[in-house]
Amino acid sequence: MKSNWLRRIIGGLSFTTALFVFQACYGTPQDFGADLYLEGEVKAKTTGLPIKGINVAVPDSKQYVITDESGRFGFYTNSSQNIRIVFEDTDAFENGSFKSKDTIVSGLTDHLYLKIHLEEK
Amino acid sequence: MLVPVKRALFRKFRQTVIRKHELNYLFWECTTRCNLNCLHCGSDCSKSGAYHDMPLADFLSAVDTISNPAPNFTVVMTGGEPLLRNDIESCGREIRKRSMRWSLVSNGMLYDEKKHISLLNAGLGALTLSLDGLEHSHNWLRNSPVSFERVMNAIGLASGAPRLNFDVVTCVNPVNIGELDRIMDILIHQGVRAWRLFTIAPIGRAENNPELHLSDDQFLTLMDFICTSREEKRIDVKFSCEGYVGQYEWKVRDACFFCRAGINIASILADGSVSACPNVDRAFSQGNIYKDNFYEVWQRKYEPFRDRTWAKRGQCADCSHFRDCLGNGLHNWQAEPKRLLACHNETLNRALLKRKATHPLWVFS
Repeated sequence: MKSNWLRRIIGGLSFTTALFVFQACYGTPQDFGADLYLEGEVKAKTTGLPIKGINVAVPDSKQYVITDESGRFGFYTNSSQNIRIVFEDTDAFENGSFKSKDTIVSGLTDHLYLKIHLEEK
Repeated sequence: MLVPVKRALFRKFRQTVIRKHELNYLFWECTTRCNLNCLHCGSDCSKSGAYHDMPLADFLSAVDTISNPAPNFTVVMTGGEPLLRNDIESCGREIRKRSMRWSLVSNGMLYDEKKHISLLNAGLGALTLSLDGLEHSHNWLRNSPVSFERVMNAIGLASGAPRLNFDVVTCVNPVNIGELDRIMDILIHQGVRAWRLFTIAPIGRAENNPELHLSDDQFLTLMDFICTSREEKRIDVKFSCEGYVGQYEWKVRDACFFCRAGINIASILADGSVSACPNVDRAFSQGNIYKDNFYEVWQRKYEPFRDRTWAKRGQCADCSHFRDCLGNGLHNWQAEPKRLLACHNETLNRALLKRKATHPLWVFS
């Protein structure tokens, strides 16, 4: 306990937080960034059945994933106050044909689970 | 007046960190396969690799022995070239499930837009890419005609991702030392915020290749370049933590030299060996995950890493810098018989003496 305090006091007085933020010579910087795990499921509005092949995208970070057989998706992305997420049917008539959905969620958390229903075209 | 106080405080700080021995940073040599054949490779990796890739389950069973991971505990995937593993994203996701962070050291050859997005999706938080010169000198060292183009593409992608704590590393050698200004301009133009400069250690494939090693004067030029660039603040330039640099300490990095190998840094190597940084002589290994409990090894062993009095031998025995240097970066040591392979401070002192003789009015500021 004492050595923890000593470490903080000396580090704080000294000059720079770099004392705590180190990287090995042939390693990467440490990761102190904040992100959130965004996961969920996409189903058809009328039938309630899961939809495979929906493109789930966060345009601000250029990230996207495709829903699996169970309509599920999950990925890490930047945490921020508001996150725009676009659900888009990009596989033409394969797995059915659905209207896109554009939504904004609050991203100030480390985990979000979304249940999305898409309308059939 | 300030410098001795600063130095004394730093020694005290370092002592408490050594005593605490908190594991913050774990290298995983997840493959020894590589898609390049670099002239300077410290691991002497090849296309086939000396070992099979360690199965993810084996690595996870070692990681799961860590009872209370430190906040921001990071697994650093290295190799070989980690992106040759086709399950790298699964590896990352499993690490994140354990509330740990992960990062990647890559040569950029396979880092295209699709890979960039899938790595971000899997929770990649930090990345280091290697750029070893302008096109000709980079491709020469990397031994590939397309390496420069590929890594520049990767650098562009990574610097556009705010989520990534990203830096570029450059191994400075006699061929690229005259290009540092131009490399810096390119990196700034690409939006890179952090740049780390190395020299090439006399280990692995570089051991017997004198054309890769800087002369004393060139090493001094490198230190001066870093000092000047840090004053300009156009990009966060620093010298790596590879070695102690005497009077250039506090000028070429954010903090004083502190080799944390085995103090905060461990590694799990491709054959299961437990050590510190992967470039440390493998005879320093402390155990093996296929025989030992990884975290018990971390907690009970690592004595030669934490207490470096053994390094006070040979040229270090009577050195007045030993209290600050503790025998230089551990990867500069041969384990058996124990022998220091490179002393950065000695190189600098030789160059400074020569400069003083040539320019008697020159004063180090």
